[in-house]
Amino acid sequence: MGKFAQEFAKGLIITNPVLVLLLGLCPALAVSTSIDNALGMTLAVLIVLLGSNIIIAAMRNFVPSITRIPIFIVIIATLVTVVNLLFHAYLPDLHETLGIYLPLVVVNCIVLGRAEAFASKNPVVRSIADALGMTVGFMLALLMISLIRQMLGTGEMSVFGVHFFSLPVLSSRPVAIFILPPGGFLVIGLLLGLFKWTGVLKR
Amino acid sequence: MPAKDVFGRAFPVILLTAVVAICVSLLTYVGSITLPRIEALEVQKIQGMLSGMFPDMSRYTFEDEIYAIYSDEVRIGYAFVAVGKGYGGAINILVGLEDEATIKGITVISHTETPGLGSRITEDLFTGQFVRLSVDDAALRRDGGQIDAITGATISSRAVADAVRITAMEKVKVLEDSEEGG
Repeated sequence: MGKFAQEFAKGLIITNPVLVLLLGLCPALAVSTSIDNALGMTLAVLIVLLGSNIIIAAMRNFVPSITRIPIFIVIIATLVTVVNLLFHAYLPDLHETLGIYLPLVVVNCIVLGRAEAFASKNPVVRSIADALGMTVGFMLALLMISLIRQMLGTGEMSVFGVHFFSLPVLSSRPVAIFILPPGGFLVIGLLLGLFKWTGVLKR
Repeated sequence: MPAKDVFGRAFPVILLTAVVAICVSLLTYVGSITLPRIEALEVQKIQGMLSGMFPDMSRYTFEDEIYAIYSDEVRIGYAFVAVGKGYGGAINILVGLEDEATIKGITVISHTETPGLGSRITEDLFTGQFVRLSVDDAALRRDGGQIDAITGATISSRAVADAVRITAMEKVKVLEDSEEGG
């Protein structure tokens, strides 16, 4: 397996940002109420993480360690704001669905975490692979959580307005707690427990 | 201190300043190219909502934060934005009035209510209750009005109903005053 593929693949399961590194739990809990939100969030994270990993990897040889965190944060905040503005202007529907969670990508620990732990020590190409892998890992985790939450919390299976099916009892009497914050904790906790128990995520 | 040392010690500051300067310029640029589009979208959105509420609308004017809706130069109603204090923050509602006492309809422009509970204030099942309702009756049933609250979202429902009623009364007063004056 080539280096690029290796850096990409590790983010999926072995060091899955949400399920193993337990990073970015705040957005993972907040936006996982529906599959739409999960996918929209993934797109935003993809752009920001890819951008920040590339820029930070390119700058890694001359960024002094004493000011690296402020520099990383300024770069990440800028990317997030740019994404926010572009979504607002060109993808208004998605911007509306994501609402406050889009600007909150700036405090997503995955982005700063990868900048600090990977991009600042590795060349650009490997940082791109890392960003892509981490984003896909983030997406997988979010899709899993949001699928469960959306199904139980609304009883409807629909993505971006396209309705697939409704669950018989749940659609008329949804278990609303699953799309509320406590439901996020419940689902993510149970998923983590399940993975630990079955050993799927064992390194 | 030799010049090289000074530069070496100042380098982190210089670099950070440079990064901030570049980022600010980039943001200013992106902001300036997206702003007209964002504003145009807002206008388009309001226009779409207004013509959804008043299908006969041919044009509208905007004065004193009130939209006056015209169809072939005949005024057919008013619209304005009401802000309710919901469970999760401000709820912006576009309220249409047929005349000074009757609501034409309402549309929720934006809100941050709980998904699946409070967010259902946007559904026709809830907003439909306001259509052709007398302004005085725009209150929850338990508050003496005609509006059924959404199950599990009393605060959001009440915020909408109260904002609609209170703002409508204020705006009607503004309209009457301006008519008397003019």
